[in-house]
Amino acid sequence: MKKLLCTTAAALIATGAQAQDRTLTISVYSFAQDEFKELVYDPFEAICDCELVVETGNSVERMAKIEANAASPVIDMAVVSTHDALAAARKGLLQPIDVSKLESYDKLYDLAKDPIGDNMAVGYTFYATSIVYRSDMIDSVDSWADLLGPELAGNVALPDVTTNQGPPTLHMIGKAMGDTDPSLAAPIQAVADHADDIVTFYVRSSQLAQLMQQEEIWAAPVGRFAWGQFKDSGLPLAWATPKEGQTGGMNVMVMTKDNGNEDLALQFMDFWLSTDIQKALAEALVDSPANAEVEVSDEIAENLTYGAETANSLDLIPADVILDQRENWLAEWNAKVLQ
Amino acid sequence: MFENRAVGLALTLPAALFAAALFILPVGILLSEAFQGENGFSVQAYIDFFSSGRNQTVFWRTLKLAAFVAGVSAVIGYAAAFCIVSLPPTSRGRMFGLVTLPLMISPVARTYAWLVILGRTGFVNAILVDIGIMDTPARILFTETAVFIGLLQLFLPLMIISLVSAMENMPRDAIPAARILGANWFQVFTRVILPLTREGLVIGGTLVFTGSMTAYITPAILGGSKVLMLETLLYQRVTVANDFVAASVIAMILIVMAFSANLLLKRIATARKTRA
Repeated sequence: MKKLLCTTAAALIATGAQAQDRTLTISVYSFAQDEFKELVYDPFEAICDCELVVETGNSVERMAKIEANAASPVIDMAVVSTHDALAAARKGLLQPIDVSKLESYDKLYDLAKDPIGDNMAVGYTFYATSIVYRSDMIDSVDSWADLLGPELAGNVALPDVTTNQGPPTLHMIGKAMGDTDPSLAAPIQAVADHADDIVTFYVRSSQLAQLMQQEEIWAAPVGRFAWGQFKDSGLPLAWATPKEGQTGGMNVMVMTKDNGNEDLALQFMDFWLSTDIQKALAEALVDSPANAEVEVSDEIAENLTYGAETANSLDLIPADVILDQRENWLAEWNAKVLQ
Repeated sequence: MFENRAVGLALTLPAALFAAALFILPVGILLSEAFQGENGFSVQAYIDFFSSGRNQTVFWRTLKLAAFVAGVSAVIGYAAAFCIVSLPPTSRGRMFGLVTLPLMISPVARTYAWLVILGRTGFVNAILVDIGIMDTPARILFTETAVFIGLLQLFLPLMIISLVSAMENMPRDAIPAARILGANWFQVFTRVILPLTREGLVIGGTLVFTGSMTAYITPAILGGSKVLMLETLLYQRVTVANDFVAASVIAMILIVMAFSANLLLKRIATARKTRA
């Protein structure tokens, strides 16, 4: 009996040690990490019996790390923008995600299911981009063309072309001008013609609330994820619904190639995409849900990019267009706007 | 100083190794990237960099703003330093403390304060409109003027400190002697003070010029992408385009500009010395 107990104890210790050896390394945006730790990472660690290593940083740094360690991956799964995911897929850094193992997959909005093809990525959140404006300074903003109109001249900030909001904004300005060519040449020229009327080309949306408060600017295109901070400022601000529609972007999960940790990574992805976790993230105003089953109160929904109708109405630039045109946009922008 | 030269060398070895392994070597590797072409050594990256009109604009803007900040801080610095050294010792200590106080505050906090002060509803515009110089608030933020003001405030204390210490080493009788011999204040400054404080001017000028040229936070916050300087451009090339070659080229240009400024200022100081 004593021998049996000892053997069982030894076996349990060994199992425990083995479980602790399981480590999942993820690469995520630096954004809202306290909330992610509380709502996603800690609860997952509690059920997976594994250690979660979280690496953060900007997209360029994180992508560079994945590429530099392609031969022996140090990152198992990453969350990136659709175009960064496509860039990584084209470089052969990713493997298809076995979506049959994702229980939550069928619950996702269609646009999140296979955004870059070949199941190389799964969308976990998306956001609308529209124009925020001071409703006490300007009656209304009805079109993306208003950004370059006389009423806002000298009182508007635009996103820099290097930001995630830059190209979608230019795309919508082009659409308002009747030119939807992916080269964005016409809207970039239009912005260049009005460069003196634009207060600044912002890089971080976090600085906009202060500029609005100081009356430095009256309007700027921003992602819906930043709307909360504007609302909290106590200023008379409104979210425009331009006649050309809203644009936006999507963030996706990807699986690095040959990481040897596929099952755990899939378990984590499924956990993050589950209705409960997506709902918790939505209620904390961290990420808009890509899971269509998530239901939130009107008050919460007001701050998010929420619902099938909104999701399907977004005029998103396809990831391959962003990837193929990005260098041209930057060159064109540098030559014309920043000259 | 040491009986055995080897002892002296041995004592400097740890510091030298530390600097070589952790600073000179990595910086050298980084900078060497800017000289690598497809067939070995190449200056193509520099030709590419300067062939862009935008990069030329950024280069000249950086040079102009840094020189302007150094020049204006020298003018203000001389006036301030002269006042400080003329004070009795207790007041001098207090004034000196006030001058160095901004150096103890984070540049980020200082620059954010300018964001509020220079804004349309800020202090500067309020005064300009109140006293009738302008009808409507001017746009100061995100212009070269804003970057200039921010950099000047950031680096002026360095110039004042350098000049104060140079003036304190000046013979006390030099200025009264010049005055007694009939020199006016302009002559006192150009013939007596300037030659006797040239070392302080060279040190202060180099610190202010190099600091302004390589500052990142101030141009990034007060200038934004409409007023790019070499340092903000470098950051953009690395974080947005992952273009380490262009970043190395910019880093090399900044190093060359800093050394050139120092050599130039030393040359000017030596020329004055010879003439004097």
